[in-house]
Amino acid sequence: MATRGSNRSRLLWVSLLVTSLFIITLDLRGVSLLSSLRSGTQSVLAPVERLATRVFSPFGDFFSEVGNLGRSKEKIDKLEKENQELKSQVIFNENTLAQLESLKGVLDLAGKARYKTVSARVISKGGTGTFSETIVLDIGSNSGVRRDMTVIAASGLVGVVKSTTAASSIVLLMNDPSFRIGVRVAGKQDMGILLGQGDKSYSLQMLSARSAISVGDVLLARGSSGDRPFVPGVPVGRVSYVENTVGQLTKEGRVNGFVDLNSLSVVSVVLSAVAGDPGDALVPQAPRPAPTVTVFVTPSPSPEG
Amino acid sequence: MEINRLPKVLLIFLTLFLIQEVLINQINFLVAGFSLYLAFFMAWVIQDQRNSAVVTGFIAGLILDLSPTLDAPFGLWTLVLTSMSYLLSSNVRAALDAELSPLVLLSVAVLASSFALALFLLFGAILGQEVGSASYLFRSISGNALWSALLSPLYIPLAMKLYKVTLTARQR
Repeated sequence: MATRGSNRSRLLWVSLLVTSLFIITLDLRGVSLLSSLRSGTQSVLAPVERLATRVFSPFGDFFSEVGNLGRSKEKIDKLEKENQELKSQVIFNENTLAQLESLKGVLDLAGKARYKTVSARVISKGGTGTFSETIVLDIGSNSGVRRDMTVIAASGLVGVVKSTTAASSIVLLMNDPSFRIGVRVAGKQDMGILLGQGDKSYSLQMLSARSAISVGDVLLARGSSGDRPFVPGVPVGRVSYVENTVGQLTKEGRVNGFVDLNSLSVVSVVLSAVAGDPGDALVPQAPRPAPTVTVFVTPSPSPEG
Repeated sequence: MEINRLPKVLLIFLTLFLIQEVLINQINFLVAGFSLYLAFFMAWVIQDQRNSAVVTGFIAGLILDLSPTLDAPFGLWTLVLTSMSYLLSSNVRAALDAELSPLVLLSVAVLASSFALALFLLFGAILGQEVGSASYLFRSISGNALWSALLSPLYIPLAMKLYKVTLTARQR
């Protein structure tokens, strides 16, 4: 009896495995029903995600702050004190202010390059089970967003639109392992390819071993034909390490991205680059050193003198 | 699986999927993200009979494949969770005591969800997916394992309770 039961469950298991392999084959062959299932899910989830973001975003960083408990305690004490002082005043929502600051930054960047953009709020992120670095925006094809459009934040490139529904869109972040972008070194014409690694740093492969590249160089997006998926001139990152190996066909290095992809709240989707390539106009200004204050002390005459 | 259990199981996993997509994914976890869906599934399926575990694995996989941010082919999670459910309900369950303690459920949830993620990556790589650097994968899987262990007091009692709720009177 046990053997019969065991055989039956093995048969069930095998038939379900075959069914899943069949589904995978259909998807890989491009059957639209399966891809529309996912976009249908996105259409259903987007309004709920939007609502959840409104309620939940102030608590979103709680679990990433666990490592800073000591510092957080001090911060809490300080904030509690400040809170008492602020009770009599009008309290602005810090979250909204941060979003306004991001929005101002991204509009400044877009304005400088004369990109035609549409701004969006981040309403969700890709989960652990997906192994893809993505975010979900609260605007979609109704706002003119299409697949393969560049997404930027105040300090530079964020990623590229992967798919859209009427009222939401999914953006592939530039740190996704499948992300590739052609870049050029600001102020020079040396070109390379930047590859996402899943974390904060990126891998850079220059097209020539003779490329003049050094630590601190700024990388800009090279742009694609028809400005899709990438508009030219967007700041991508700063070179943090250059590998100097003799005999290699290409030069390689590491890059730190300009945008903190873990704390995105407001971004802009570039609909078109009105004025073409902005060249090096968007290269971030290096922080200026604070002026040194010199104090001249003149001895006052002594009372006896 | 008895037919009248099916709607309850479907409803539970759909709700869990919604919670994962709408709430859990919004949280910036230290090290890496946490998949409540996977950890709950593992804690559920280890309690189940072999036949219903396999059907639950298939359904749970299909639901997880609906995730709009997923870049892998549709059906990949179905394949992984169907395989995992058979492995857990036949091989692992046979090696455990009849009465499952919360500690055993915790160990199964942590180890099995890590194994499922690794299996997903392996199958994905075979199908031509980009899998990322070794450090990224290690961080993702270990981060998920860490949070699956730390948050187990929240989801394991829930998995045990909800599992009992779906059982028919005869099965209880």
